[in-house]
Amino acid sequence: MPEGTLCNKQTVDTKEYLNALLADKSGKQYYSEMEKLDVDTDKLWKSIKSTLRSRLRTWLEICAHCGMCADACFLYLANDRDPTQVPSYKIQSTLGEIVKRKGKVNNEFMRMVMDTAWSKCTCCCRCGSFCPFGIDMGIMFGYLRGLCFSQGFVPWELKIGSGMHRVYKAQMDVTVEDWVDTCEWMAEEYEDDWPGLAIPVDKENADIMYTVNAREPKHYPEDIAEAAILFHMAGENWTVPSKGWEETSLAMFAGDWGACKMQVEEVYGAMHRLKPKRMVVTECGHAYRATVIEGPYWAGLKDGRPPVESIHYVEWVAEALRTGKIKIDPAKKIKEPVTYQDSCNYIRNAGLKNVAREIMSYIAEDFREMTPNREHNFCCGGGGGFNGMGRYREQRNVGLKVKLDQILDTGAKLVISPCHNCWDAIRDMEEVYHAGIRWSFLKPLLIKMAIPPDHLKVEE
Amino acid sequence: MYEFVTGPLAWLTFIVFFLGVVYRIVWYFRGLHWQMDRVAYNAHLKYGIKGAIRSIFLWLVPFGSVGWRSKPFMTILFFVFHIGLVVTPIFLQAHNILLRERWGFSLWTISDATADTLTILMIVAALFLVLRRIAYPEIRILTTAYDYLLLAISVAPFITGFIAAHHYSNYEFWLILHIICGEIMLVAIPFTKLSHSVLFFCSRAQLGMDFGIKRGGMKGTKFSW
Amino acid sequence: MFKDILFGTSASPAGDYAARVAFELAGRFDAHLRLVHVLGVPSRGFSYLAEDVRTGEQVVIDDDYKAWVEEEIKTYYAKQLEKCNDYSIHVCVGHPHREILREARNSNPDLIVLGGPTEENEGSAYKKIVAGSTIQLVSKSALCPVLLVSRPAASFWGGISSVVFGADFSKASDAAFKFAKKVAASIPGCELHIFHAMDIGPVHTGLSLSQEEIEDKIREARKKIRHKYVANLEGFEKYSMEVWEGLPYVEIVKFAREKQADLIVMAYSTKDVDAENARLGSNMEQVIMRSTCPVISVNRKMAKN
Ligand code: HEM
Ligand code: HEM
Ligand code: SF4
Ligand code: SF4
Ligand code: SF4
Repeated sequence: MPEGTLCNKQTVDTKEYLNALLADKSGKQYYSEMEKLDVDTDKLWKSIKSTLRSRLRTWLEICAHCGMCADACFLYLANDRDPTQVPSYKIQSTLGEIVKRKGKVNNEFMRMVMDTAWSKCTCCCRCGSFCPFGIDMGIMFGYLRGLCFSQGFVPWELKIGSGMHRVYKAQMDVTVEDWVDTCEWMAEEYEDDWPGLAIPVDKENADIMYTVNAREPKHYPEDIAEAAILFHMAGENWTVPSKGWEETSLAMFAGDWGACKMQVEEVYGAMHRLKPKRMVVTECGHAYRATVIEGPYWAGLKDGRPPVESIHYVEWVAEALRTGKIKIDPAKKIKEPVTYQDSCNYIRNAGLKNVAREIMSYIAEDFREMTPNREHNFCCGGGGGFNGMGRYREQRNVGLKVKLDQILDTGAKLVISPCHNCWDAIRDMEEVYHAGIRWSFLKPLLIKMAIPPDHLKVEE
Repeated sequence: MYEFVTGPLAWLTFIVFFLGVVYRIVWYFRGLHWQMDRVAYNAHLKYGIKGAIRSIFLWLVPFGSVGWRSKPFMTILFFVFHIGLVVTPIFLQAHNILLRERWGFSLWTISDATADTLTILMIVAALFLVLRRIAYPEIRILTTAYDYLLLAISVAPFITGFIAAHHYSNYEFWLILHIICGEIMLVAIPFTKLSHSVLFFCSRAQLGMDFGIKRGGMKGTKFSW
Repeated sequence: MFKDILFGTSASPAGDYAARVAFELAGRFDAHLRLVHVLGVPSRGFSYLAEDVRTGEQVVIDDDYKAWVEEEIKTYYAKQLEKCNDYSIHVCVGHPHREILREARNSNPDLIVLGGPTEENEGSAYKKIVAGSTIQLVSKSALCPVLLVSRPAASFWGGISSVVFGADFSKASDAAFKFAKKVAASIPGCELHIFHAMDIGPVHTGLSLSQEEIEDKIREARKKIRHKYVANLEGFEKYSMEVWEGLPYVEIVKFAREKQADLIVMAYSTKDVDAENARLGSNMEQVIMRSTCPVISVNRKMAKN
């Protein structure tokens, strides 16, 4: 049987297909169908020929096999220096091999490739900065995931995830109505504490258009309320779009480039519609990378930038603290030792290292850097979709150890993590290893530390 | 024989070498694609060039990059090996005498003692590079016979040239063998992974542009290589 | 008095006392009873797994699973449901406080019933996701009174004869007062005890007030009670008032015991939710855990309605 009913080369474009996938508990049927899925070797080779260009070909060819990238990879370190976790080996034995064989690979090989692409690399791109030739395995694995996806070899959760983007234009089944209603709800719930609090939907020409991660409306709407409170405190003229509010992209983790394009165009559409001066993305790393850093290319914007200037939440926070739009009560600064999780997606791969330090200088009295840090920081252990895939749970848990040690070595028990993925991974670290650490986004901490302007003070 | 290998064969070698190398470079840059590489090269050329220069420069300087600093032993081997590899043949007196004789020009030269030292160091470094490949599991797993072949191709002109220059035994034989080895190496550059001697610059430039444009450069952040 | 009661159930012994009260109330007032069971906390990033709150297991939640849990709930409450003719069961996934609030927003109940603070999920990393407990968070944001039952209630609603109103003069307290009065007035022979506990702070700080100052403040508080509450009793006569000093949650529990209270009505204070102190529990939680009778919490939002 070449094509399964669940596991096949089709993209998930209908609710029916999506629901059928969801109904397949943990992807049992899906993965068993995968064992029989045919590899369309002609199509594979054709697409390699047209998309594997000089950059990647050169990377594959000139790798000196020098091993300098080995201990750049947290997974290599976490797995007791297992040689099969050396980045160069991982990519040479998968993508390298497919190219060498001109696409003539079989089902078993493709399943091995899938397992490697999703459980042995989080696309954190750390190795790329330690290779003398600048060979970036993170980027190559991203490309490889695309090939796997087009052949139907993609982990169950990510097939669903990319389908969610196609069907709902969000990574979860949150509709426009759900979203708008949640905004109203949160404004109502918190307006007693913050007089005048509102979450303006679809306001044109605002200074800021704010966009989020679907998990927020779905499970933690507090996060939206907190964002609203901080914008309100800072006196910002802001809005959220009713359509195009979702920043994240499981499609990027899945390698479903078509869905990636659909998703970011939704957001860019909102920009064109509402004409805000700037867009601010919530505390999410991969969302920022997807919509602001990579998105313009998927959408075919030649200057590589989104239609309006777009910044990450940490940039907005740094600006608000710097300009005094939000004032911190010196007595309420964080006194205990605290460390910061540099998210690869907006630190290494988007250059916001100094912004993060600036924020910490305003809010923490005893800020402890991890080693290594900034653009050389290790992945939290849960990137690239690693957190959410049942099939690779064990491997993910092993991968968490490197970050956990880094955190414990700082002596801090509190980790600030303005990235949903990293935040999840750190939470799971605590669950798996019981290290006694705590973690937080910036928003709740800022609200506690800020001095509310007089007109927002409420008497009890 | 000597006339042949230093005459027509040398010509052929250099033509193949230069054309091959130029082809590689042109092929590389023509193959870059703003959308597929997801780097807006042309739209932000200035940022790109700045990024590219930093990325190349810091990796050309011994201990100039975080990567080099994190592996001091490897770094020393690398630089000793490559300085010997690049500097010796180009500035060698013997080579430049030949150049002058045949093509009527020569470059600035180094003393024979310096050349000897560089040659020996280079050969020793190559030896350690081999040992390293055998000793470390993370490198062993990557290493193929091809890697040893390339090392051999790179070292052969040094060993043979050294023996010839010091007249240890049959000078004529070793000299001709040396020249053939040298020519093999030059021809190998465009056709094998040794093309990295130019593609190194291309690849580093590309990643430098990536960081200089998209991954932080335009936010004013300098990547600390 | 109540037409629509929302009961946040855990379908486990931890919620048994609350369940008894909820069913009893629904029967008495002929109200629609909504059993809301939040069966799992989402876990694993964006995955479709959740941690089943009862078993602690990782499960894939789909319609089958929900149907199965619904059956379980029906079995668990079989006896009570037999007598209950107007109820509905809602099974959902999410963080308990959020899903209870979501359901409350959709159905607009006039009372929410919850079990007392339990050690549920203790040690689970998921508990730490949101600062504060389910009780705190629901009490803070609900648009109706929240009835919290952590111990077997000695007397059911019908047998209520003594209501203690814990006054703190806040806006929320005004609403709590109105509600307490309404309850007392609706039950023949019921007494209403207006009580204020003056927080004199921890004694060991050395900042303790002199006895004179304390007495001044007590006088002041009595004046306020008279002005704010007694003046608004609108003819209700079976009341008393009292001001004690000490640790508020200790004093109110002591007072309730003395008055053989069947119900305590308190205002929810926003100051209570604080991540750092969440584990110690708020004043409210302390009262709930210690008092022998159920507690009704009324928050500031109800002052507007
Ligand atoms: C076109 C090809 C080449 C020709 C005609 C050539 C010719 C020569 C000659 C005539 C000598 C001098 C021997 C003596 O002192 O009597 C020499 C030495 C040497 N050549 Fe070449 N060579 C060629 C290519 C190369 C290449 C490609 C390399 C290295 C990459 C190389 C490295 C050396 C070295 C290391 C010595 C010995 C230096 C010393 O230790 O003094 N040669 N070569
Ligand atoms: C300026 C030009 C060159 C640059 C920038 C360069 C750079 C590099 C780099 C970055 C590596 C890999 C990292 C490492 O092994 O440390 C390397 C390895 C190597 N290079 Fe070059 N290279 C250049 C020229 C050459 C030439 C001309 C040859 C020989 C014909 C050569 C032969 C080798 C060999 C054999 C290795 C493998 C070393 C090993 O076994 O680890 N390189 N080179
Ligand atoms: S550091 Fe670069 S050249 Fe060396 S093995 Fe790794 S990828 Fe290959
Ligand atoms: S991108 Fe990150 S996870 Fe992937 S191989 Fe490189 S260092 Fe390892
Ligand atoms: S999850 Fe966080 S640390 Fe890991 S790759 Fe993504 S951004 Fe980086």
